[in-house]
Amino acid sequence: MASYLMRHYIFTLTALRRAKKSQRRATKGNIAYQPVVSILIPARNEERVIGRILRRMTELTYPKDKMQIIVIDDASTDATGRIAEEYSKLHGHIEVIHRSKKEGGIGKAAALNVGSKHAEGEIIVCFDADYYPQREILEELTMEFADPKVGAVQGRIIVLNEPKNIVTRLVALERIGGYRIDQLARDSLGLITQFGGTAGAFRRSLLEGLGGWDESILAEDTDLTFRLYLMGYKIPYLYDTECYEEAVESWHAYWKQRYRWAKGHMQCAFKHLTSVLKSKNLSLKEKIDGFLLLNIYFMPVFVLLSWITGIPLFFLHPPQWFSFFWAFIPISLYSFVGNFAPFFEVGIGTYLDNRNRAQWLIPLLIFTFLLNIFICTKALVDLTISKIIRRNNNQWIKTPHSGNGNTYIKN
Amino acid sequence: MRASHVVLGLLLGTSISCTFLFFPFIGEEAIFPLIMFNFFFVSLTFPLDGTLQRKICMLLIGNIIGLLWNHIFSLFANAACSYFGEFCNALFIIMNPFLNLFWIVSFWSMSLTLLTTPKIRRRTES
Repeated sequence: MASYLMRHYIFTLTALRRAKKSQRRATKGNIAYQPVVSILIPARNEERVIGRILRRMTELTYPKDKMQIIVIDDASTDATGRIAEEYSKLHGHIEVIHRSKKEGGIGKAAALNVGSKHAEGEIIVCFDADYYPQREILEELTMEFADPKVGAVQGRIIVLNEPKNIVTRLVALERIGGYRIDQLARDSLGLITQFGGTAGAFRRSLLEGLGGWDESILAEDTDLTFRLYLMGYKIPYLYDTECYEEAVESWHAYWKQRYRWAKGHMQCAFKHLTSVLKSKNLSLKEKIDGFLLLNIYFMPVFVLLSWITGIPLFFLHPPQWFSFFWAFIPISLYSFVGNFAPFFEVGIGTYLDNRNRAQWLIPLLIFTFLLNIFICTKALVDLTISKIIRRNNNQWIKTPHSGNGNTYIKN
Repeated sequence: MRASHVVLGLLLGTSISCTFLFFPFIGEEAIFPLIMFNFFFVSLTFPLDGTLQRKICMLLIGNIIGLLWNHIFSLFANAACSYFGEFCNALFIIMNPFLNLFWIVSFWSMSLTLLTTPKIRRRTES
């Protein structure tokens, strides 16, 4: 657990060092590589936001003849399909795939697999329906693929509806920590940069070679990240390539979303941990980072365990042979201090973004950290039970989007 | 990155930490969080923009707050222990890192606001 303290600390200092350097390179005149791009937009009951992203797709600066937009209407019961069809009639490069109630609605990975079969571009870009990318995002993302070692690219995600309420504000802070510091530092240090499943691009040939998305995994993005790294490919992170998302707006939605992330991440840990440690395509530092990244959702469970075991062990006066285990308590308890290292990441992230007012909310992240202890513990218990009874109950719980609070969009 | 500020800060932070280590009236539970605070505060705040005087001032204020915080909570723990038994003492020791988390994070984020230049976030259309 103490290693996470060091990890977060190193990441924070690395991001601080790289603060002055800008990555934006896709300015006019240096765009040499512009492959055909297929954009996948999986959408299930997204009538409130689908129009916004499709309108944005028509505003992208990438050449229209090199762009294919595929909306996967995943058995929606609202007007999502109809809105997408209206855009499709007006714009020839937008296609809509409708999935019936019988075949659809089983998860994002399944919807993406269907969309991938229709994709014709060399590069596939994924956007969730609630996203709102920069106009020049495709130029910036695709440029990286001129390097054959690049398997995927990830852009920065920023919360669109931040001022909505306290939940969105805290999620925005978490995103700052994750994308302004964590991802940037990983990219700078040559570690495992995470493909976030959206606002990112990857080679279609690689996905086909891998047999598509793994539909049994809830965190299909983390799964793809590790599959690409294990094949020897890299995932650069472009922190100046921004895409805006709609954050969850209630604690209930927050719980469900984080629960899915935690469970999916744990599934990835069970699936890839051994392969990462044995891989010949990964350097030692990538293996260490991969190990820590895969296990990160287990750490809050350890904190809870150390609290629970701490009280009875305090009253027991352990014999000499037990002293080693006795040391576990203070180590794990003080590693809690290590687990608040993400607060430092968020703090430095807000500093680098000049988000003065947002810094006042950082102490409130303590409560989301506490909440995550219970979320991760429940995810682990549920996953263990499903493994024991050998029944896959990894149901995809869709995050609701309201389409409100688009603070940064000029209407 | 302001290397000279970091070096001076580390010297000061180490001196303060050593003083706590050899000062007999500070409880063991308080020493570790204060040392952690000094190390993290110096290494993560001193490289940022801002005057050295302001940073040193914040470091000293942080240590005073930390001392008071730990002292007050240990008094609470002692009182609770004498009324409700040893269980409260166990709870205090186990929850101590968490209790320290509150003041460390709060004080640090407050310090950051003094070093940050406010900026209105740019719109996506730009």
